[in-house]
Amino acid sequence: MTEVSIEKLTKDYGQGPAVNAISIKIAEGEFISLLGPSGCGKTTTLKMIAGFEDATEGAIRFDGSDVVRVPVEKRDIGMVFQNYALFPHMTVEKNLAFGLEMRKVSRAQIREKIAKVLDMVQLAGYAERYPRQLSGGQQQRVALARALVIEPKILLLDEPLANLDAKLREEMRVFIRDLQRRVGITTVYVTHDQAEAMTMSDRVVVMFGGRIAQIGTPSDIYERPASLEVAEFVGQVNIIRGKVNGGIVATAFGDVPVSGNLAEGTELMLALRPEAVELLPAGSGAGVFAKVLSSYYSGSLVDYRLELENGARVNVQAFPRTRFADGERVLVHAPAERFWPLGATA
Amino acid sequence: MNAAPAGKGLGPLLLIAPAAVLIGLFLVLPYLNIVVMSFRMPGQGTPYAPGFTFGNYGKFFADSFYILQVVNTLWIGFLTTFLCLVLGYPVAWQLARGNSAFRAVGYGLVLSPLLVGIVIRSYGWTILLGNNGIINRTLSNWGIIDAPLPLMYNALGIVIALVHVFLPFMILPIMSAIQGIDPSLESAARSLGASKVTSFRRITLPLSLPGIQAGCILVFVLSLSAYVTPSLIGGLRVKTMAVTVVDALIDTFQWPFGSALALMLSITGAVVVVAFGRLTVMKWKV
Amino acid sequence: MSKPFLTLYCLIIYAFLLAPIAVVVIASFNSGAFLTFPPQGFSFRWYVVFFNNEVFMRAIRTSLWIAAVTMVISGIIGTMAAMFHVQYAGRLKEAVRVAMLAPLLLPEVLTAIALLFFVYSVGIGTQTMFGMIVGHVLITLPFVFINVSASMESYDPSWSMAAQSLGAGRFTRFRRIMLPLIKPGVIGGCLFAFIISFDIFTISFMLKGVGMSTLPIQLFDYLRTNFTPEAAAVSTCSIVLTMAVVIISEKVLGLRIHRF
Repeated sequence: MTEVSIEKLTKDYGQGPAVNAISIKIAEGEFISLLGPSGCGKTTTLKMIAGFEDATEGAIRFDGSDVVRVPVEKRDIGMVFQNYALFPHMTVEKNLAFGLEMRKVSRAQIREKIAKVLDMVQLAGYAERYPRQLSGGQQQRVALARALVIEPKILLLDEPLANLDAKLREEMRVFIRDLQRRVGITTVYVTHDQAEAMTMSDRVVVMFGGRIAQIGTPSDIYERPASLEVAEFVGQVNIIRGKVNGGIVATAFGDVPVSGNLAEGTELMLALRPEAVELLPAGSGAGVFAKVLSSYYSGSLVDYRLELENGARVNVQAFPRTRFADGERVLVHAPAERFWPLGATA
Repeated sequence: MNAAPAGKGLGPLLLIAPAAVLIGLFLVLPYLNIVVMSFRMPGQGTPYAPGFTFGNYGKFFADSFYILQVVNTLWIGFLTTFLCLVLGYPVAWQLARGNSAFRAVGYGLVLSPLLVGIVIRSYGWTILLGNNGIINRTLSNWGIIDAPLPLMYNALGIVIALVHVFLPFMILPIMSAIQGIDPSLESAARSLGASKVTSFRRITLPLSLPGIQAGCILVFVLSLSAYVTPSLIGGLRVKTMAVTVVDALIDTFQWPFGSALALMLSITGAVVVVAFGRLTVMKWKV
Repeated sequence: MSKPFLTLYCLIIYAFLLAPIAVVVIASFNSGAFLTFPPQGFSFRWYVVFFNNEVFMRAIRTSLWIAAVTMVISGIIGTMAAMFHVQYAGRLKEAVRVAMLAPLLLPEVLTAIALLFFVYSVGIGTQTMFGMIVGHVLITLPFVFINVSASMESYDPSWSMAAQSLGAGRFTRFRRIMLPLIKPGVIGGCLFAFIISFDIFTISFMLKGVGMSTLPIQLFDYLRTNFTPEAAAVSTCSIVLTMAVVIISEKVLGLRIHRF
């Protein structure tokens, strides 16, 4: 097991840094996701960890030793590519054996290791198949097995689920996560899909414009986003504005206490997730009134667009146990602790 | 993911180095050398003598024989190109749009002449067109003609053989241009009320213009520079410029003058090609 | 044009394309000295004459030898250039392509003249086969380049990256991954280079030294003064040889050769 430490890592192609002095410490066996929109530098970061891109500046340490000068083939990484990159002229078995042959593992051991890894990815009996004879999900698992069978120091995955259909993608999330736990390998996972990052990772690194916007556990990122950008990238969010007055921000939902040293009169943005808002029939209890503008039913949930009495609009997500009609007056209630201050408005 | 592995160091450049040296040293440099050669002094007993002169070009312009020969060569080039276009376009269309079984065979038939050496193909035409050739002997055996028809040793024979030799070079670019046209465009034109002919004339033909242009330029340039066919079919009686140039170099060793002739032919050809390109410039962007 | 008419028209053009070749083949089996329609009778006499003609036999050997040397040199240089073109050329991609195709786009006569002057001005001359082989390599290079580039285009660079991530060095990646996957293009390009080299006339004609006549040159020289069907027998053998290479590569090896 390997601990990875990235220090002030920078990549500049000559038009300003694509990755700008990022530092991440990855613990042994940890599953880290690099999450961000395309062009945020996440793939470049992964390629630098793998060695496919040279770092302009900074260090990448595996268990303390800097690998920046080590060529890819000597870095002892396992990598899963977006398009799997299975060698089309080799059977599954040959694909899996390739990395072991490079490591001069004996024939007998190769056979043994392949059998074991095929079992692990539930593809025993597929050894003689060629990649084109496999489904997308099976190819994905071969790619994973090929990266793991060499028992690398670190597993790198570059948007491995992007080419799968929605249902398979959800299955594979669980599969990869379980496998990673079982093997206990330090893993860096690149994705632009926030749900993927949240369900799989121990910690998520959110990146924008080559910089790290936030590092934290999935719930940190979701519930306590560091900025408006992060809040919006990882899910739907309502932005409530208000002024600080005696440690309290007055909102249409009522007073929200805020902590920290905020000057009186500061304009604050508060993040409020749609599912944090409770929706009740009018006259049934505490809350403020709102009017249903429209609603969108999606099976397990209903999305409502509401208009508060002060004219502000909020999105609310509720279970479809009680349905409210368009135009109906409803009561909305949001607990004060579900508001998260994003900082002063510009 | 643009996954080209980052070229590290000089490794990738070593891949292109041999080709770069080959083309730079043995193609670019020698071509430039032709220009230099055309200004050298003609030699006595040697290909050229020390010193430089404009005399080789003077000799070209002073003698109407050479100018006439350039005109003659251009005329053969035009005629060959035109005939290739007219004869080749329907075949290209058929290869691009016809039913598939026919297409594979047709494609093979168009390509296979290219695999047969130019000397052999030209020889085939001498068997067909010669005074003792199949056509003349058969016709006289049947009593249709008394004297052989003059099919060889003239511009007509050269053009016939050149059309044969270069037809594939016209068909293939046009074919790929037509293949690149979305067939639904023709359907759209038909649905808007255009007849088959109109939809061809207004849609397919203009959209295949890039292929026509490429084919015409290719065939024209090849015809101007053809040596084997004109020299075998034209014999000593009809000479094109390329034949004169090669003879000047090989038989009489007039390298500077031969270079000047070659350059004059190239310049004239280039002017025609550029003018043709300008005239057929595409007004839309595909 | 209506469909049947168009089909008929195409058949006529195909006949026109094949006619002179067919005529050569038929003439080679014709017993008479001149071919008429219908042919006079079937005979192998012109083949006997040809096989006993040491001049032609030597020319065939020379041609085969030059084609083989050309194929090897052109194959290696062209494959390397195609690898560079597809993988590393970047913004220069189009420029590299044009430069590599230049020998194909430039008139062969001019290239031959240019090379002739060049080999003399650098003192090599035509005493050796050097100039002739350089010319053949130049002319055949684009064909290797086109074929290998086409295979390279369907080669996914992430295969090399995957191999590298699994511990394969530069040479292993080439030998174990890339070469097997681009092999059809390499073999196809090489075979095509062989055929083209075998048929090259103008370059050989201008750069040949004493006693280095290739088959096309010998045939051309012969045809300037003779008209006997011995030339047809020579031509037919040359056609059969070329066709054999094409048929073997396309049917037996299952290659699809890119000619343009």
